[in-house]
Amino acid sequence: MEVVERQGDYLTMSVGPQHPGSGHMRLIVTVDGDIIVKVKPDPGYVHRGAEKMCEVRTYIQNIPHLERPVIIDSCGILFAYVLAAEELIGVQPPPRAQYIRIIMAELNRIISHMYWLSIYGIFMGHSTMFMWPMGDRELFIDLAASIGGTRVTFSYFIPGGVRNDIPPGFKEKALKTFDYFVKRLKEYEKIYFNNPLVLKRTQGVGVFKREDAISLGVTGPNLRASGVASDTRKDEPYSMYDTIDFDIPTYREGDSYSRAWVRLEEMRESMKIIRQAIDKMEAGPVKQPMRGQIKGKVGEAFARTEAARGTMFYHIVSDGGKFPYRVKISVPSFRNLIAMSHLLEGNRLADMPVIYWGLDYWPVEADR
Amino acid sequence: MSESNSVEKRILESLKSKFGESILEDGWEGALAPKRIKTFASREKIVEVAQAIKELGFDQVISQGGTDYPKDDIFKVNYHLIAVDNEELKPIILSLATKLPRNDPKMSTLTNVWRSAEFHEQETFENFGIFFEGHPRMERLLLPEDWDDIPPLRKEFTLPGR
Amino acid sequence: METFEDFLKRIIVVVFWLLLLLPFIIFPFIFIVVPALGIPLPTANQVLTALLDPLKALPLVNDLGLGPSSLFFKIAAFPGFTFAALVATGIILYERKLMAKVQVRVGPLYAGRFEGILQPIADLVKLLFKELLVPAKADKTFFFIAPSLSLALATALLAVIPLAPDIFIARSEVSLLIPFAIIGLTPLVILIAAWASSNKFAFIGGLRALHQLIAYEIPMMLSLVGVVILSGSLDLFGIVEAQRGLWFILPQLLGASIFYVTMLSELERIPFDLPEADTELVAGWLTEYSGMHFGLLQLATYVKFYALAVLFTLIFLGGWIGPAFLPPFAWLLIKLFFVITFMLLPRAFMPRVRMDQLIRLGWVWLIMLAFVNLFIALVQASIGVIL
Repeated sequence: MEVVERQGDYLTMSVGPQHPGSGHMRLIVTVDGDIIVKVKPDPGYVHRGAEKMCEVRTYIQNIPHLERPVIIDSCGILFAYVLAAEELIGVQPPPRAQYIRIIMAELNRIISHMYWLSIYGIFMGHSTMFMWPMGDRELFIDLAASIGGTRVTFSYFIPGGVRNDIPPGFKEKALKTFDYFVKRLKEYEKIYFNNPLVLKRTQGVGVFKREDAISLGVTGPNLRASGVASDTRKDEPYSMYDTIDFDIPTYREGDSYSRAWVRLEEMRESMKIIRQAIDKMEAGPVKQPMRGQIKGKVGEAFARTEAARGTMFYHIVSDGGKFPYRVKISVPSFRNLIAMSHLLEGNRLADMPVIYWGLDYWPVEADR
Repeated sequence: MSESNSVEKRILESLKSKFGESILEDGWEGALAPKRIKTFASREKIVEVAQAIKELGFDQVISQGGTDYPKDDIFKVNYHLIAVDNEELKPIILSLATKLPRNDPKMSTLTNVWRSAEFHEQETFENFGIFFEGHPRMERLLLPEDWDDIPPLRKEFTLPGR
Repeated sequence: METFEDFLKRIIVVVFWLLLLLPFIIFPFIFIVVPALGIPLPTANQVLTALLDPLKALPLVNDLGLGPSSLFFKIAAFPGFTFAALVATGIILYERKLMAKVQVRVGPLYAGRFEGILQPIADLVKLLFKELLVPAKADKTFFFIAPSLSLALATALLAVIPLAPDIFIARSEVSLLIPFAIIGLTPLVILIAAWASSNKFAFIGGLRALHQLIAYEIPMMLSLVGVVILSGSLDLFGIVEAQRGLWFILPQLLGASIFYVTMLSELERIPFDLPEADTELVAGWLTEYSGMHFGLLQLATYVKFYALAVLFTLIFLGGWIGPAFLPPFAWLLIKLFFVITFMLLPRAFMPRVRMDQLIRLGWVWLIMLAFVNLFIALVQASIGVIL
């Protein structure tokens, strides 16, 4: 006998994991007509046990392994790991390496935000906004590839510095790209951010109140769109960020529209940071040589950095061996997931893609 | 450094005056580092300590995870806390640890103190089998529904081929 | 497990039976049925020469009563279904190239020597060879009917739409009203398709199509009342001829704008493509359709697109009216090209609206403006703008 659960005139459907509007995750959505009544996020479709796998890999082997959860922001997810590992191993990167790390991390932030922007466009049916940022993103991928060697997974940060120096002529190429991109950003604003229909779709949709955003543990651009100026690059400056002058774009509205603006402004700030980092960089070594088997000292270390999606946090426990004893990865997408049901309930079904992708939820990162 | 160090010292001292020496796990030196505070609470007192920490201004759980120590026959559970809305405390990460016996891995949830601990505790539950009493949804999150092995992040769960 | 020899044996058996049975059907048909009906039959010689030289085939077809002046030819070939389908495939290719140019891409490039001109044919071949998937719990009858029904309705629109004074299928005194009667039926087909799919996303898409109908149907009809007042006719010929002096788009700019918006809504084009909103509803009511079913539905959409573009040209842009150095039909095609471009463009720079916003637009703004337009038309008629 089949038991059919009936609750009024509700309709329950699975959005994902095979759905054009979801990533590798599922939202179990209950709708009452056009209004969403209940949302239960169901992550875990791409859970690979990254934390367990870290325990059987050396500190260096973990580097390519740990970028896999979020390949479009691979330097962002790796930065905090490298900082924590350096504390355990006991090496210090030279200043030039620290500036190069800033350049790579900010390039990755732009690449990740561009990807986000293009998907945000197509989620509202705006196909031009899908194609333009995807095309312009290639320019930044080219820049990053000229440093890191590959398109997305660079494995570029190592404990004690970076793998190799930046190529000659990078500065000219980067500045040319930035000049072009600043112009393009104005065009994006014209066609998308100031488009009356986009305003209608995003303004006042999925409003996150300041207190809710803090208490739910939301992080990154989503938190800054709700009026909390929290950015690890300013709060706890790591790796020479304290020598660089930049702003944290913060908006007070907390709706989907301001979340988009935060990311757009962040791309501008990132270019500002890279320009300064290139100027401040002095010639010198880019890594501290390490010999023999790398072992961490007994103890624990934790570090946080600001990745594209929010604060990335690592907690590494070492027992003095060549493998870390325990690696806890706390990723921003996982912490933002809790906001999904909070924001979606009570909104219309058509707002679901806007809110879902407005949070910049990356399922692979959240599942690890 | 001395000026910023004093903030951390003041926080630790205010906690110590409330809960005594038990708040320090490895003595005064182990508990303090630049921008880092490490505190400890027994599982009976952890909600109380957490409440006090929250009143100091730490408003978000940035990470919560367990560590398995089969040699000592304990689980260690770490809550890492940050303050996003407090200028003075922003640079600091506070770690609140507790120890649970391996044969009775139970503690009361901190979701009533910090709502943001909810998914982290769910994840620790499925990865270590640590039960959080009073948690609104103590169920699987990331692991497959048909997982019938031991919790995977315990040390006796070995990866095949390693 | 079937071996290859079994397969060959099966084919040989089928061929044997066909060879045995065909004479029993074909010969009686040729020598008994056809003479009894009195149809003139071409000789084998004529048929073979006709195969080599198409011009020689023309008298043969004329003899059969299927020549260019026959009703069958008008319905099936020109200006009926085949012409419309050709234009529709042209629109599909043009849309893809246009979108590509706007979005700094190249679009279809490799099928055909020039700019991917054979891409629609390649798509058609791909769709023909794809498997027709039917959901296990689908209502199979209606699931199979819906694509054909949709195409039939779209083609029915062409019946009373003239392309030139001498190129038309049928004339009617009320040829302005008939297309809108047919358009009113399309959400019904969508609902049949959605319900028969037994899919939650398709179901929501079908319901959205009905809601959308409520939003656009009334303003669409009202926006044309002004034209009827000015031309004093419900006949498309009469409306076109009334524009000898001045195209209606100038006095009736508001009406034309309303008609344009509602037209996009009817066609489910991008600002109003709620029934098939792909990021929320997978593909809306089209979700379960695959292969040629999907191809038919797509063709129906673009035939409808063509028909509405012609209607817009006839009603507001003077149809085939133009200087005499080009034939009337050429003028119509030129105007049609611009109308089609103008109808395709919103997809390049607009996102999708929401259901409540669309209904608010339809019921608050479009209806109000349509009434304003009606008064404008009355004033214009009383001071005699056109006549």
